[in-house]
Amino acid sequence: MKKIILIIIYSVFWRNFLKIFIGLSYINNKSLKNKKQFILIANHNSHMDTMAIMSAIPSKYIHKVHPIAAVDFFGGSTVKKFLMRYLVNATLIKRDRNDPNNDPIDSMDKMVKKSRSLILYPEGSRGTAGVMTNFKKGLAYLIQRNQDVNVIPVYLENIYKTLPKGKKLILPYNCSIRFGDPIKFESYELEDILTTSEKALKKLII
Amino acid sequence: MNKIFNSIDLIPEIQWVIAIILMILVIATTLFWIWGMIKPSKLVDEMQIRTRSWWIMCSIFVFASVVDPVITYLALGFLSFLTLREIYSLLSLRETDRSVLFFCYLSIPIQYFLAFKGYYTLFLIFIPVFMFIIIPFLLVLTGETKDIIRTMCILPTSLMLGVFGISHLALLINFPEMNSNGVSGKALLLFLIFITEANDIMQFVWGKIFGKHKILPKVSPNKTWEGFIGGVISTAIIGYFMGFLTPLNSWQLILLSGSIAIFGFMGDAIMSAVKRDFGVKDMSNAIPGHGGILDRVDSLSTTASPFFHMIYFIILSA
Repeated sequence: MKKIILIIIYSVFWRNFLKIFIGLSYINNKSLKNKKQFILIANHNSHMDTMAIMSAIPSKYIHKVHPIAAVDFFGGSTVKKFLMRYLVNATLIKRDRNDPNNDPIDSMDKMVKKSRSLILYPEGSRGTAGVMTNFKKGLAYLIQRNQDVNVIPVYLENIYKTLPKGKKLILPYNCSIRFGDPIKFESYELEDILTTSEKALKKLII
Repeated sequence: MNKIFNSIDLIPEIQWVIAIILMILVIATTLFWIWGMIKPSKLVDEMQIRTRSWWIMCSIFVFASVVDPVITYLALGFLSFLTLREIYSLLSLRETDRSVLFFCYLSIPIQYFLAFKGYYTLFLIFIPVFMFIIIPFLLVLTGETKDIIRTMCILPTSLMLGVFGISHLALLINFPEMNSNGVSGKALLLFLIFITEANDIMQFVWGKIFGKHKILPKVSPNKTWEGFIGGVISTAIIGYFMGFLTPLNSWQLILLSGSIAIFGFMGDAIMSAVKRDFGVKDMSNAIPGHGGILDRVDSLSTTASPFFHMIYFIILSA
């Protein structure tokens, strides 16, 4: 049931809306087709980012892909939580790691171990428009624990212009979503993971 | 589906044009295919991609022009929308302009509705008079005056090119004077688009073969006097032979086609200058081999309204 709802929302509605009305072009999204599990890392400037990525995912396993969202921003009310859970398929996590019983890395790790795919914005939150900031360490911890999972960089170009931070009106703007090849990590040291993945994402900027 | 095709009453002239378009495409495709087999080069590859895009554009166009007029209106409105989107994506406007852009997009359905209803005067003045005043005022309302004059100039101009110009194509379809006394709006629409695109191709071909003396060396190095003059003359000749689509006599046809060629050249040159200013070669890569939507419709947006008003003048004075 959830799968059907997600397919209608993303593979049918958002994909066509973004393609025809907004002017989004999908580049190399075929590379996701024969991968069962992946962690997508993307730059983050707008709420449209999640819609764009979700609409690019093959409908066959869209129900197994979970965008990661911060509970303090999106989990405000019960209604919001419900919408995030069923309409966005999101997993809500805490931003800080103070509580050892409720570690966000653990909950993400659990999802990956259940062979779920994740969408991560390693910059943390929607930064300044068009500027990429340094990645947070959480991504590296997650990759360290799941070394065999494909990590695919996704570059979202100009998508923030259709719905900039703090604006409510969605306007068309020619933009693109570009999928890279799975990142090959040479070492799984914390710093190396971060620099390699940052480099891989920046390589997609043309 | 039946309802859509019910309204097809293809007059023989239109059938002829469709046959001619099909023939040209088939000839061009085989020609470039053989040429590519014998002597592969970059130019041939580009021409093959271009021809493939022509196939798609022609089929969309032929389909849109033979089905129900409502669909033709929607298709042309969508073309205007794509043009505006391309302009606004390229010209980095201020973030405060966003809310005003919404009203620019909103003017598309209004303009096409006026065309559909045939409110001639309102159609004519909606953008050059009303939007010309309303858009700058809306910009003033945002309160941000830094660089406001740039946006104040860009937005009405983009509406004139992308909406006002192209919507004249739609006006041709069921404008009363254009659809009586043996005149068919659809045939005139076909004539205009055929002439405009033939002019583009002819200028390109003449320029490629004989081009030596640059006409606009600083703006567009591809445009030459040879291409321009050859284009105007051959467009006038093509127009003369396509005259069966129109109610005009021979010298009217030649003058009209010649001036359409000149207007088309102007549109092309204007957009070249804009692209040069922004340091891009093509507006986008929406149509393989041609560039963006605007790279293809730039000449149409400047030929449509002059064509309409010249024809209207001739029909009225006849």
